[in-house]
This record gives sequence, C-alpha cells and structure tokens, in this order.
Amino acid sequence: MAEVKVKVQPPDADPVEIENRIIELCHQFPHGITDQVIQNEMPHIEAQQRAVAINRLLSMGQLDLLRSNTGLLYRIKDSQNAGPVSFFLSKMKGSDNQEKLVYQIIEDAGNKGIWSRDIRYKSNLPLTEINKILKNLESKKLIKAVKSVAASKKKVYMLYNLQPDRSVTGGAWYSDQDFESEFVEVLNQQCFKFLQTKAETARESKQNPMIQRNSSFASSHEVWKYICELGISKVELSMEDIETILNTLIYDGKVEMTIIAAKEGTVGSVDGHMKLYRAVNPIIPPTGLVRAPCGLCPVFDDCHEGGEISPSNCIYMTEWLEF
Amino acid sequence: MTQAEIKLCSLLLQEHFGEIVEKIGVHLIRTGSQPLRVIAHDTGTSLDQVKKALCVLIQHNLVMYQVHKRGVVEYEAQCSRVLRMLRYPRYIYTAKTLYSDTGELIVEELLLNGKMTMSAVVKKVADRLTETMEDGKTMDYAEVSNTFVRLADTHFVQRCPWVPATENSDPGPPPPAPILVISEKDMYLVPKLSLIGKGKRRRSSDEDAAGEPKAKRPKHSTDNKEPIPDDGIYWQANLDRFHQHFRDQAIVSAVANRMDQTSSEIVRTMLRMSEITTPSAAPFTQPLSSNEIFRSLPVGYNISKQVLDQYLTLLADDPLEFVGKSGDSGGGMYVINLHKALGSLATATLESVVQERFGSRCARIFRLVLQKKHLEQKQVEDFAMIPAKEAKDMLYKMLSGNFISLQEIPKTPDHAPSRTFYLYTVNILSAARMLLHRCYKSIANLIERRQFETKENKRLLEKSQRVEAIIASMQATGAEEAQLQEIEEMITAPERQQLETLKRNVNKLDASEIQVDETIFLLESYIESTMKRQ
Repeated sequence: MAEVKVKVQPPDADPVEIENRIIELCHQFPHGITDQVIQNEMPHIEAQQRAVAINRLLSMGQLDLLRSNTGLLYRIKDSQNAGPVSFFLSKMKGSDNQEKLVYQIIEDAGNKGIWSRDIRYKSNLPLTEINKILKNLESKKLIKAVKSVAASKKKVYMLYNLQPDRSVTGGAWYSDQDFESEFVEVLNQQCFKFLQTKAETARESKQNPMIQRNSSFASSHEVWKYICELGISKVELSMEDIETILNTLIYDGKVEMTIIAAKEGTVGSVDGHMKLYRAVNPIIPPTGLVRAPCGLCPVFDDCHEGGEISPSNCIYMTEWLEF
Repeated sequence: MTQAEIKLCSLLLQEHFGEIVEKIGVHLIRTGSQPLRVIAHDTGTSLDQVKKALCVLIQHNLVMYQVHKRGVVEYEAQCSRVLRMLRYPRYIYTAKTLYSDTGELIVEELLLNGKMTMSAVVKKVADRLTETMEDGKTMDYAEVSNTFVRLADTHFVQRCPWVPATENSDPGPPPPAPILVISEKDMYLVPKLSLIGKGKRRRSSDEDAAGEPKAKRPKHSTDNKEPIPDDGIYWQANLDRFHQHFRDQAIVSAVANRMDQTSSEIVRTMLRMSEITTPSAAPFTQPLSSNEIFRSLPVGYNISKQVLDQYLTLLADDPLEFVGKSGDSGGGMYVINLHKALGSLATATLESVVQERFGSRCARIFRLVLQKKHLEQKQVEDFAMIPAKEAKDMLYKMLSGNFISLQEIPKTPDHAPSRTFYLYTVNILSAARMLLHRCYKSIANLIERRQFETKENKRLLEKSQRVEAIIASMQATGAEEAQLQEIEEMITAPERQQLETLKRNVNKLDASEIQVDETIFLLESYIESTMKRQ
C-alpha cells in the first residue's frame, strides 16, 4: 500500500481565515490581546503572515492598536463603542492623517472645547492647514464652533453632539451669549419680597425678641424652594445660583447674612453649615448732602462765584427752590 | 486749611461779625499765628481796629493767643471753631429738647455772647422769658438758676479758664498776656450765688407790677453799686459735650432703624450711663453690667430681666457690631463700640451719596468693593450680576469721582499694563475727606445763594420794613382801621407774592445748610476718631 503523504496544511493559512480568527480572539478578550496571545492561538502561522493580517485589519479600521507597558495590544473596534470615529473613518478612508489628528485633539478637549491656537500647539501643524482642516470638519458636521462668553471673539471647537460646558456659555444667567439682566432683576425682586414678608410677619408676632429674630431668617434652601415653586424661571436653578442672587441683595444693602452651624442631615446644609438671610432697613436715611442740589451737581468742580457757573445763577438751585 | 474751608469761614465771619472782623479773621486763618503789629501791617487796618476785632474773636473763642519767648504775643485763629458756628442752631435745639425753653435761651445767650457770667445769663434769660409770658406773670431767677446748674452738672456748659490768683505779689512787670488755667475739677463747679429776683419786662406799663417797682427801685439802685457776686467767673458752652450727644443720637437712631424700638432704648440707656464716665474720644465705652442696665432703664419700660438679656445678646451678635460683650460678671458686661459705630455711619453716608448721585446699581458695585476689599474687573461683574459693559462704565464713573481707587499689582518688573493686575478698592478715610471738602463747598454755595437772593430783593425788603414800621407806630398812636389798610396796600399783591417766595427760599436754603452740616458732623467725627486711633 502506498502511503499517501498528506501534507497537512494548516487549516487557516488563508489570510482571510487568519484575520477572522484574530477578530474572534479579540471578541473573546474585549480588553485587548497581545501579539503573544495570537501566537499562542495560531502557532503554525508565521510572523510575516500574522503581521500582514494585523495590518490589514488595522487599515480596515476593525482593530485598534494600543500600547501598554507590556507591549502592543490589539483591541476590537466594534460598531457600538467605535461610534462616530468608525463612522468617520468609514466616511473618509484614506483621508489625511492630519485631520484624524486634529479630530483626536478636539475629542480630547471634551465639552470645554479647544481654541484653534491650542490645536496648533498640540498638533504642530501650520495655521493654514489647521484652518483648512477645521473648515472641512465643520462642513462634514463633525465638529462645531461655540462662542465663548468670556471673550466674544474667541471661538472654541468641540464635537458636534456635545453640550457646551457652563464656563463657556455662562450658565443659567446667559442665553445665547447675552447676559439676561431682566431675569436677574426679576429674581432679585422676588427674593427680596419673600424675605421682606417673612421679616414683617416675624415682627408682628410680638413674641420675645429671640424668637422674633430667628423666625425672620430664611435659609438659602427655603428661598430656593420658593423660587422653584414660583416658576418664573424656565431654566433649572441650583442653590448656588440662588445664593449668587442673594449675594447681590446683600450688596444692595437690603439683606444681611449669617452662617450658622447645622447638623449634616438637616435640609439645605452644606458641609455642616447653613446660610441664613434676613431683610433689613438701611441704618441712616439719605444723608444731608444729597438733599441739597450741590451734592448731586455734575459740574460741581467748575462752580465758583463770578464764573459762568456760580451759586448765584445756578439753574439747579433755581429749579430746586421752585419745587 | 483748604480753599473751601477758608471761603466758608470768611462767609460766616462776615455774616455774623462784619467786614473788619472778617478781614482779620481770614488773614489769621490763612497765615497761621502772627503778632499784633504784623496783622495790622499786612491787612492795612489801623491798630485800633485790629485790637477791637481781636477782642471780638477772642471773646467768641475763635482766636487763641500765646506768649512766645522774648515776650511776643502771637494770635492764632481756630478754623474748625469758626466752622462750628454753622451748628449753633442745632445746639440750641438740643438744649430745648432736653431742658425746654429756659435751657434753650441760656445756651442761645452763651453762644451769642461767647463768654458770660452766670448772673448776667440768668438775668437776661429771665427778662426774655418774662416778655413772652402772659401779662402779670414773671420768671423767677431761681428757676433759671436751677436750669443753669443742671446744664453745668451734665457738662453742657463749662467754665472758661481764668487767671490764677497769685499769692505773693509779683514784683516784676506783669506778663504781656495773661496765662489762663483751668483744672478739670473746677470746670463744672457752680459758684454759690443767691440770685433773687424776677424777670423784668422792657415796657414798664404793667398794672400789676405797679406795686412792685416802688419796692424794687431802691433795691435795684443798690444792686448796681454792689459788685456782681461772681465777677470773673465766666461760662461758655461746651461744644464737645453737644457733639457727644449728637453722636449718641445718631447711634441710637441707627439701631432703631436696623432693629426695633426697644433695642434702641437699651442702647440709649447704655450711652446715657457712660456720658460722664467715658471721655469723648474713647473707642469703647466703659463696660456696663446687665444688672446696672436693668436698673437704669427708663421707668416706662416694663421688660423683664430675661427679655433684657435676650435683647443684649441679640445686640451683641448683630453684624452691625455696635455692642460687644466684654465679660460675664454681673450678668454679662457690655460695651458700645463707638469707633466701629462711627465707621459704619460714615460708610453709610458714603453709600448714600453714591446711590443718590450715580444710581442704585453703582451703589451695589460700591458696597461690593467695600466688602471684598480688592476686586478685579471681571470679578466685579460676576459678583454684582451686572453686564460687563455697564459695570465698566459705572466703575469708571466712580473712579473719576474719587470714590474708588485702583491698586496696581505688577506681574513683571517692568510694569507692562498687559501683564499687571488692576484691583479696585475703596479707601474710606480718603473718600470721607473728599466728601467733607465737597460739603464745605456746598454750604459756601448755599450761603452765597441766600445772600444773593436777599440782595436781589433788597429794595422790596426795605420797603416792607418801612411799611411795617409805619403801621406799628400808627397802631401805637391809635390810628383807625381804614388808615392801616391804606398803608398796608402800599405793598401790592405781586410784591407780597415776591416777598413770600423770598421768605420761602431763604428758609429752604437755611434748612439745607443745617442738613449738610449733619453730614459734616458724621464725617468729621469719623475722621477724628480714626486719626486718634493711629
């Protein structure tokens, strides 16, 4: 009987087969596999064939090449967590590495966005290139430019579908880069009215002074709840926002604040203390100087006897005397 | 002395004492202390007139003299004392509220005459009061003396320094100018006088007094020959005590505005108890125990001890910091923080001026920078919640008005503007000084306007005075109704209208001077208190 020498060919010498096996391996180890693992799995494949297969997978965008401290890692890029990048790469295969780089930088900036000069520093690309790339990316609707509220000429770039951070848009007080003064004014007045009525009811209760004073105080949490229930704000306001409004009332001299130590569990306490606010009256009536026309006169420094503007022919005084 | 102060002093001296005194006074204020001959030479007035003017000024405590070496006597004017003349109406009004009409007239006489003996004051006041009383009633000297003694006890009037009696007769020539001394304990010592008598009316046509004058006349003639019992003991009004009173009033009303009536009464009691014991320039009053306060509360206030304690605790905890707790003995020792109170009042004055002049948003920025001490432009906008453009505008307006100042903090040794921090800050002392200067100029303007208005209508005023004199003399001689009416019609209706307007304007300007003076008082007290602390 003649022995047929059967050359056992390795079953997956076919490059496609190799790739598929590698992909299956990657699926098994979603965190990434090293070259060693592949080698163990398919010991019969030569290094050359392995390298070719891996390169092909990489260029097709199905594998991710990562470096770890042990060596190189290959990770599968499946459509769920690849997200826009695979979409992007599938759209523009073979496009600039530069564009990819720029895109990567913008993605890293998260929702704070990044300025074009910073992109230039990080990528070391010349300005003209950067501008071209940014225009390209914008037209492809991959990134967007958001105007910063701090410097209105400065534009920061971020990924298209990200929500800009508060520091860029200014938070609850800004809508489209405009400071909402009327909104702040309305809130200001409402808070003040609330504190005023509270103080009034406390004063009329006529109990002993300690209770009277303590009941005229309102914590920042109470005011916050009142404003939320009032529903005058379309934007959700946090307690810090209300505290900034109450601070402006303090600077108006209409409200005073004390901080008391509160137990951790009580409502509205932050780090063991609570801020209490109370409406107060000014300590002196408008002072004497402003009741005379000279106190408010805009041309006070030019006024002297015998000159164009003098007390004898002062029109402000004449008007004031006729009052 | 700033120009504004000198201008104001000159206006006041002219109004109260006339041209010559004004010339001498202003010259002294401008040039400091000078001897007699130099004054006469520089102002070009005769020696005689200079002497008379100096007499007037010294009598009113506006000029002091000093003997230098080599026997030269130099005279120095006190500018601040001249400015006090604005406050005379307020002093008189205070005396009226505390000691009713008698006190009011005593203080008025003392202020108008500078220095007087007690007997002279009593006599004059009694005469004046008797005139205003109903027919047949007269004012007893004893009552007036009592009020005088009470004024001296509460330190509202004080004795003037006098020449000490030398025991051994000095053989040498008398010194060129007498050296006046006064000791602390003698300042309020009332001499034992037995002033008997009643006030006299000017017109001696009283039927009831008919019986009296005969008995009185011989007595009066003998009185004139007897030496006045308290000759050489002169009294003057103690302005510092009045200032203390105003300061207490301001503090009490501030507490009443911030808290309630009862708290302000408690503070008033505390201040009253420390009136005599605390020197006027002290930053804190003496500590008072809660028991003492409870005992000294006014009779009408029935609050229990616990309620008082609660009020005191509330006062001590208040952010205003007017009252502080200094110990726990005797139920809790409390002091009033005078320096802090004056500071708060001065700050409130500044804030009020900023608010009225620039608007309430500017006032918000001003208070913000005041509280946070130093702020950058961006931080100001964030904290005050005011749009950037408006905030910038307001800050620059206040900066040019000198209420706010800039502090530069350079980042690099070359102070390049792009690499420097610019912080806004408020310096209360300098802002108070600036405002004070403005007050002086404002009052000078108001006085000038008042004089101008009066001068404009001089002709009309003279006419009305003549008419009044005619009517009075005709009434005395018993003229008929028709004749009186005829005379009155000499002043036509529009002229009457003009007179009315003039009177109203002059009153308004006068009242406004007093109001600005209130601001001056607060600012001056604060500046004085701060300078003493340094």
